[in-house]
Amino acid sequence: MEVTLSSRSLGKPGFLSDLRAFWAIVWREWTIFKRYPSWIIALLIWPLIFPMMYILTARALSGMDGSGLAVFTQTTGASNFIGYIVVGTTVWMWQNIVLWDVGFALRNEQMRGTLESNWLSPTWRFSYLLGHTGPQLITMTMFILITAIEFGLFFGVRLNGNPWLALLVMLTSIPAIYGLGFAFASIVITAKEAHTFVFLVRGLVMIFCGITFPVSLLPGWMQSVATWMPQTYMIHGMRAAAFANASLTELWPDLQALLLFGAFWLTLGYLLFQWMERRARRTGAIGQY
Amino acid sequence: METTTLSQPTFATQLRALFVIAKKDWKVFWRYPLNAISHVFQPIIWVTPVYFMGKAFSTNGQALGFAQYSGTGDYMSYVLLGTALSNFILTVFWGMGFALKEDMDAGVLESNWLTPVSRLHILVGRTLTSLLTTTITSIIMLIIAAALFGFRPTGNVIAAILTAIPMLVGLYGFGFAFAAIVLMMREANTMVDVSSFLVQGFSGANFPVKSLPYWLIPVSLMLPLTYGFDAVRGWLLQTSTLLPINVEVAILIIFMFVMLWFGAWIFNRVERKVRRLGTLGQH
Repeated sequence: MEVTLSSRSLGKPGFLSDLRAFWAIVWREWTIFKRYPSWIIALLIWPLIFPMMYILTARALSGMDGSGLAVFTQTTGASNFIGYIVVGTTVWMWQNIVLWDVGFALRNEQMRGTLESNWLSPTWRFSYLLGHTGPQLITMTMFILITAIEFGLFFGVRLNGNPWLALLVMLTSIPAIYGLGFAFASIVITAKEAHTFVFLVRGLVMIFCGITFPVSLLPGWMQSVATWMPQTYMIHGMRAAAFANASLTELWPDLQALLLFGAFWLTLGYLLFQWMERRARRTGAIGQY
Repeated sequence: METTTLSQPTFATQLRALFVIAKKDWKVFWRYPLNAISHVFQPIIWVTPVYFMGKAFSTNGQALGFAQYSGTGDYMSYVLLGTALSNFILTVFWGMGFALKEDMDAGVLESNWLTPVSRLHILVGRTLTSLLTTTITSIIMLIIAAALFGFRPTGNVIAAILTAIPMLVGLYGFGFAFAAIVLMMREANTMVDVSSFLVQGFSGANFPVKSLPYWLIPVSLMLPLTYGFDAVRGWLLQTSTLLPINVEVAILIIFMFVMLWFGAWIFNRVERKVRRLGTLGQH
């Protein structure tokens, strides 16, 4: 008697089941996150101490009589150097955290030994990455709020612009920042040990995007590199919206660039994920570490 | 039944053990050459924003505001020297604790502990290679940074090195105490990251501590590293120092003896405790 084996999956994937899987991943990540409460300390301390080191250096550069500060105000157009630095360093920290959290999401699961078994479930696999983004966005929102509160309370930083426009710049930045994280996750799962890549990418942001200085101070070739990095527009746009009272029209060039970069990085992130998925199935690399 | 050990520890065997530990770490370090490149370029990346920020505060390349606090307008030499010294501080201060954590995670701590070698020697041995590699990478870093940003030490190099020695030796005491905390807590990454950042910041790695808000200056003056940074800069860059350099050197020498004794005392007590509790192999 001949027996025909069907290779069809017993799962019935559909939009609703994918949504349920996505929600399950979000919930799992949130549960793991809450399990280690030391993050509360990190969330309260890092927003304050990382910018503070640059701020204290800037304070020393200002001089006892404020003569250095007068030069800074003339060069940058910003009288509040604390707010100026906090915006730049916060954008850097945001990108840095996304690279570690989202960029290493699949790799961490691989190290835990659960990636292969999850991969076998009849789920849209990109939801593994998207699921990591949910809790990450919540914690980053808390991070940015805590930054604003701490610098408002301890350093007297006040917004001199439209907070809704500053929020708009942040929202417009999300696709570019997380798209880069998605692209990174696929590279990490292929290259395995990829800490050096994180150091490289965050180093580029630190050098070229003007986290503590105006990009116009960079040599010409460095300014050209800066124009190809979305973080440059984020920092410029957020400073203009928060401290220079810029209007929507004035912010439009930054917003436009961020939307374009967002579309590019999200597409590239998705394509790289698909390439990695095919490659992993062909070579069996998912289980290797 | 006699429980005497079969080993015959002597000064020569302890030295050989130190050499073997250092050789093992040397092999591991060069097994990952990207790490060496990262050690050179990471500090350069971190000081680049300071370089351009300094330009925004400077007139004709001179940070006149900075000179009011430090006695020199050459802020990049000031910052680069602080960065190079910070590399050594990281190596000694935190290196021993991290090495213990690595051994815990790799599952070799217990077996290493059973060897007839003084545990403090094991800790010191773990810093020898990193001191050598830090020296090599810091020199390369300074050469590259000098080409990129300018680095002009004009003072007495020998006196600066002699001043840095008691500071580094004293840091071994800190390192022993920190290694004891790792033995107890087993996971201390957040604490290490935050405290190393704060200690370096408040001891003036990147700026003169005189420029700190008045309520933070006492914190800074309580850290012996503050006098180390200040005296080395005083010798090399002829900056204005907090106290006369001789007094700062005396503080560093006292700090060295006190910290070595205190660190070793803490470590020995904690080590006995974890042996009694049997938690050495847990991580």
